Amino acid sequence: MTATETSVRRNYSLGARRAAVSVVALWHFGFDLVSTVGLWDSYRYPWLAGLAWVLYTVIGAVAAVALLSESSLRFNVWPYAAGALAVSAMVMAACQPGDVVNAANWAWGSVGWLAMILFWPRPTWLRDLSLFLLANVVVTLGGLAVAGAFDPLSLSKFLVVSVGAITLQAGASAGGHALDLAARWAVENSNRTARAEADRKAADQVHADRLARYAEVRSAVAPVLNLLADGADPANPDVRHESAVGAARLRRLIAETDDAPDPLLHTLRACAFDVERRGVVVLFLTAGTVPPLPLDVRRALTESPIEGMARARRQARVTLVATPREVIVSVLTDAPSLLAPGAVRADNVATRVEAENGGTQLWIESRWTAP
Amino acid sequence: MDREPLDRPVTLAVVEDTPVVLEGIRSWVAADPGNRVEIVASGNTVDSVLDGAGAHADVLLLDLELDNGVNSLPRIPELVAAGRRVVVYSVHEDDATVMAVLQAGASTFIAKNETKEHCVDTIVAVARDRPYVPPVMAGALVAADGQTSRPMLSGREREALLLWFQGMNKQSVALRMGISEATVKQYIERARVKYASTGRAAPTKTTLLARAIQDGLITADDIIEYQSLAAEGHVRD
Repeated sequence: MTATETSVRRNYSLGARRAAVSVVALWHFGFDLVSTVGLWDSYRYPWLAGLAWVLYTVIGAVAAVALLSESSLRFNVWPYAAGALAVSAMVMAACQPGDVVNAANWAWGSVGWLAMILFWPRPTWLRDLSLFLLANVVVTLGGLAVAGAFDPLSLSKFLVVSVGAITLQAGASAGGHALDLAARWAVENSNRTARAEADRKAADQVHADRLARYAEVRSAVAPVLNLLADGADPANPDVRHESAVGAARLRRLIAETDDAPDPLLHTLRACAFDVERRGVVVLFLTAGTVPPLPLDVRRALTESPIEGMARARRQARVTLVATPREVIVSVLTDAPSLLAPGAVRADNVATRVEAENGGTQLWIESRWTAP
Repeated sequence: MDREPLDRPVTLAVVEDTPVVLEGIRSWVAADPGNRVEIVASGNTVDSVLDGAGAHADVLLLDLELDNGVNSLPRIPELVAAGRRVVVYSVHEDDATVMAVLQAGASTFIAKNETKEHCVDTIVAVARDRPYVPPVMAGALVAADGQTSRPMLSGREREALLLWFQGMNKQSVALRMGISEATVKQYIERARVKYASTGRAAPTKTTLLARAIQDGLITADDIIEYQSLAAEGHVRD
């Protein structure tokens, strides 16, 4: 996952968490506090109700900090959940027996919100929250039993509030988690699209490279193939030399893209090897280390020397002198005729093709000088 | 090549453990019209050759890699310190090997692929304490000079060495550079003399420099500059 994708997901996730914490805070201050303070005189033990409100606040603050900062709770989540249940029991105990299903017993419907933010980051949040809400129902039913309030009115009130609270709390939790999931899907979807786009671009590039390569191969061997197609005699030495030159060009095209430590040397060696197989004695001498050179420079450096090698009848002396600022490739051979300097050009590469030793030899030198 | 008459043939000791190569050397020496060289000793190891008939040979021809896996390079300094003129030949013709051999104090280096043309001329030149640069060594000098921060060779010397390395004869090099053959020879030999003053000191190097001054190849002023470079090189060793 890329950094952008991670941040998209984090933003969604953090937004949902903030919303959950806000809901809990609003509920606790807007409803719980108002009930506790407003109905203070109606409690059997008002201080117990007040203490329960404070305990709720403490647990809520700890859970909110952990949730927003994405850190884990100091102990396990369960002691806090037990504390929330205790808040529920404490407020119930603080109420007059007749008030267990009235507004004074705010905690019974409210602790579910606390549980929502406590269990939020857990992968098993749905199971954990359900367990807690069930336990809260049991605690509340216990309270009703102790208060002797199993009359139809109280039970129906209990059912309405329980179903309402549980629906809201479980629903909010599910909604928040759904947002997270949606963000993940969006990111995965965008990844898939990006991958498909990258694959398409790569395929286009490969295709373009292949076309360029075909064009190079065609220009390398088309003249000699045309010559042969027009009925040229393969026994004719000139035709054979043209064929050898075509073969050398193909060899260069194959060798120059090989992944070799020294591509220039590798290309020259591969061509020298082919020429040797024709029975030409090749003396290959090198001095110095070739600096890294771009492909077009390597091409311009090797083209004419390789053609010179290909034209050799019996022997060729191939030399390479390299310094960090200069690379000189030369071929001295018994090739019969002068060839035109190669069509491949590159900046800072100069090529000389000259007759040598009274016209009995051909001397080719390509020289790259660092700009 | 230098064909001035000798009062006696140059005596040569050969350290070579491959019989066919030794036979080749014998035949090249025998084929020399002036019979300028006489092989007085040969053997598988440096010690066996020098303990016997080779003890007073003018020149020692040394194969760099003997078949028993011994590399002769570490022996060169002690041999040249004892005043021996050492000619090293090897199948390894890369510039690093060539320069290592020259730095160690050998008089010259010949690649095995060029031994036939240059063997006898090299030995005679070395016996007279004159520089001799076979083409492979010329290539190594050009590459080595281009890699240093303070090149010692002049542009013309480089050009002459390069064409010589590329396979032209001295007449062709002269024609191409628009100078006389003697000047080509001078350029190439002077390049060798310049590099003789680098690396560790050796009596053979001193005589080479002295002879170069005597022949007018370089002046005494040049020597001072080369030796200061040599001293620098020596500190780096």
